[in-house]
Amino acid sequence: MSLTPALVSDLQNLLGPDGLVMSFEGRLVYECDMHTFYKGMPDAVALPTTAEQVQAIVLMCRREKVPIVPRGSGTGLIGGAMAPLGGVMVSMTRMTAILDVDLPNRCATVQPGLINLWLTNAVRERGWFFAPDPSSQMVSSIGGNVGTNAGGPHCLKHGITTNHVLGLEIVTGSGERMRVGGKAADRPGYDLTGAAVGAEGTFGLVTAITVRLLHAPEAVKTLLGSFATIEDASEVVSTIIAAGIIPAALEMLDDVIIEAINAGTGAGFPRGAGAVLLIELDGPRAEVEVQAERCAEMCRARRAIDVRVARDDAERELLWKGRKEAAGAVGRLSPNWLLQDAVVPRSKLPVIMRQMKEISARHRLVFANVFHAGDGNLHPLILYDEQKPGELERAVEANEELLAACIALGGSVTGEHGVGVDKAQKLMLQYAEADLNFMYRLRRVFDPDGIMNPGKLLPSHPACGEGFRPPRPALAAGAWI
Amino acid sequence: MSARSIAGALVKIVGGDHVVDDPARLAGAAVDGVRPRWLIRVTATDQVSAVLALASEESLAVVPRGSGSALDLGHPPSRVDVVLDVRGMDRVVDYNPDDLTASVEAGLTAGAFAARLAPRRQWLPVDPPGGSSRTLGGLVATAAHGPLRARYGTLRDLLLGVRFVQADGVVTWGGARVVKSVTGYDVPKLMVGSLGTLGILCELTLRLHPMPEAEATRIVTFDSVNAAAAFVARLLDSSLEPNRVEFLNGGALGRLGLAGRIPAAIAVSVGSVEAAVRAESVEIEALAHTEGGQSEPRQADFWEAYAAMMVDDGARVLALHVSSLPSQLAATVRSVEQILADLAPGEAASITGCAALGTLDVVLGESALPIAARFVERVRGAVAGTGGHAMLRRAPLAVRRAVDPWGPVEPGPMALMKALRDEFDPGRVLNPGRFVGGL
Repeated sequence: MSLTPALVSDLQNLLGPDGLVMSFEGRLVYECDMHTFYKGMPDAVALPTTAEQVQAIVLMCRREKVPIVPRGSGTGLIGGAMAPLGGVMVSMTRMTAILDVDLPNRCATVQPGLINLWLTNAVRERGWFFAPDPSSQMVSSIGGNVGTNAGGPHCLKHGITTNHVLGLEIVTGSGERMRVGGKAADRPGYDLTGAAVGAEGTFGLVTAITVRLLHAPEAVKTLLGSFATIEDASEVVSTIIAAGIIPAALEMLDDVIIEAINAGTGAGFPRGAGAVLLIELDGPRAEVEVQAERCAEMCRARRAIDVRVARDDAERELLWKGRKEAAGAVGRLSPNWLLQDAVVPRSKLPVIMRQMKEISARHRLVFANVFHAGDGNLHPLILYDEQKPGELERAVEANEELLAACIALGGSVTGEHGVGVDKAQKLMLQYAEADLNFMYRLRRVFDPDGIMNPGKLLPSHPACGEGFRPPRPALAAGAWI
Repeated sequence: MSARSIAGALVKIVGGDHVVDDPARLAGAAVDGVRPRWLIRVTATDQVSAVLALASEESLAVVPRGSGSALDLGHPPSRVDVVLDVRGMDRVVDYNPDDLTASVEAGLTAGAFAARLAPRRQWLPVDPPGGSSRTLGGLVATAAHGPLRARYGTLRDLLLGVRFVQADGVVTWGGARVVKSVTGYDVPKLMVGSLGTLGILCELTLRLHPMPEAEATRIVTFDSVNAAAAFVARLLDSSLEPNRVEFLNGGALGRLGLAGRIPAAIAVSVGSVEAAVRAESVEIEALAHTEGGQSEPRQADFWEAYAAMMVDDGARVLALHVSSLPSQLAATVRSVEQILADLAPGEAASITGCAALGTLDVVLGESALPIAARFVERVRGAVAGTGGHAMLRRAPLAVRRAVDPWGPVEPGPMALMKALRDEFDPGRVLNPGRFVGGL
């Protein structure tokens, strides 16, 4: 679609000469998120600096029924911050202020474009941090984290984004600007904040976010257990949880990833290890000491070939180094890969790992696994080479089978990446028609004209034939997972 | 359809034994004095669905009830045709100790659920006063919470998935059965605290926590509310991870038999492995001394006595839940006490609450009822400046007629809430009139 001259001129007047990107070259940067296969260029990119401007943009677009697509840093993995139907993209990169830090009340209020890690950087010296830590946290925005309800390695103990959002200022699809939630804990009425987090911009645009801050733990202890097989490592995950220990993080890497990392920068994982388990505990020192020792014992009891305990911060960094390089290392293994984000009940990890082996063997493909084992959130990377005939098709098929297997075990389609266009059709695996209808209607309450991020989060509605069908998927090199 | 045919249809759905139309028993099921035409006991989701489909067709107002402890929450209902008793839906559908998750029917009581979890040393850490006899559906629908929220959050953080029946009888599922899912909208969040106005809760999937191996409770008394608040501020700005951080004023201490002109105390518990509990207790004691507090250990049953104090004993008839900020703890307590002294000299309030979050529960006796409405309004005025709220948890009908039990909601969010209600229950079948704004 193209925008009317009236809308363009209104937007230009509102945002000034450098606040609206109209050129083809300028808009090209905005045609996709890190899931680079889904491309859709907006007709214009608005770069507002205030909540008032954001509201004005929504009202203008609503007047002409033009789609609006919000965008933070564009590090999503789902085909979210892209414009399949054109329209106006609202980039939050100029709204990056920390509006308020209120440590006595353990919270801060920020603008949506603020980079996740910058908030922790601003309060770290005083002993505080912002808990949600997606692997992209050095570049992803808090607004984007709110949109996708992002998780991260440490959400096992501390919770995902929604558990840390106290309030929002939003501009709904009908152009109303309002505060929902806030610093004070309990309030009358429906939990609109809870409903809006994870709505991927389909309810409206977030212009300010009040988040909870946590006090830094007294102690952190990190262990690395290496195992001959991924089944053994998976059993240890269940044992730890069943023993009543909730580590801050419990991450797993399989043999394929270990080899790739060792071949690269060499984080020095034991040669021949079939899987490593990265276990991090945080909390009061005495608790951490006791639980770390118990975790180490559980690893040994399950035939660990090696258990290392970091003695200081430097060693801790080293143990994490491999995990952090995992996604980059995959580039050395394969030119292309599909990424999944399905969840299984954590006690089913050994089962899904066996099924995964069968699926990969059947399709003659290599799967690499690096994932949040503690909450059963898988991130299998299905490796393929698009130059080789038939590989992509086999990868897509294997991907579907694996997803179906996870759902059959009682799992979920996506644990932390979100839906976007990538998984919109997949919701039908998890929800019945009545469940989806409830969601369509919920969306309409916030966005009566259907202008907010259309084509995302829900399957295209049979009745409206919106009909954006995503083509084949691909991820950008160096995506954070 | 005539009343007789509706009754016949109801009998067909749940069986004759589960349809009560005897006037005496119906009087006992009245909600705020409004007697229902039928009391229906359901035992399965498809019965709820059939009843609501019928109610929707016949424009009947349905009030869901669990244990009945929160039937006086909110505005009086504008209509009551059917009271739907869900206590017969009390199965544990699925308990997966190794996943720390369970799916239960909404009529199961928290106490029965706790008994099921205890052998595996797991729990649902939600401990509102009187909670063990309440149904889990009721706890979710009313967003109930207790002292443990200081560490574990509330049902908002623990409800992973929910099966509910919409006003038109459509059975709907939202959320997931695993601890982490962002697939679609977070429908469970919308259901917590919605008082059954978007659907009747039938099945809940809950996140569980391991019970701490050891626990220790201390009560720290102070000679001023300010000192107690200063202690809380130090506690929050430390790396301690307490389970509970409860404020108690003199009135509350008196009711616990801890009188002696003590104006304020903080009851704090820690839960962890034995060694950590010992170490944290020592640190708490040191922090208490810094602020001039006297710290004494208590047995675990302290929390039972504490909860019992909060439960309506017939004489304490009004409970106001005040949410403010932790930094405003002392100021809020002083305002509440001052407002009460102004309006009813000599009247004593028991004030307790989660000091870590700045929420307080103010409980008044019968003699304060004449000034209750003005009291509520003035407390609202006092906390409005910091974005706080004051909601009536419990009050006689006359008080809830005189003052909005929920308090104001800003126009923007209120319009959205009304739009939600109009979308999902345009005929106002579910709990009409009781929720915010009389929705």
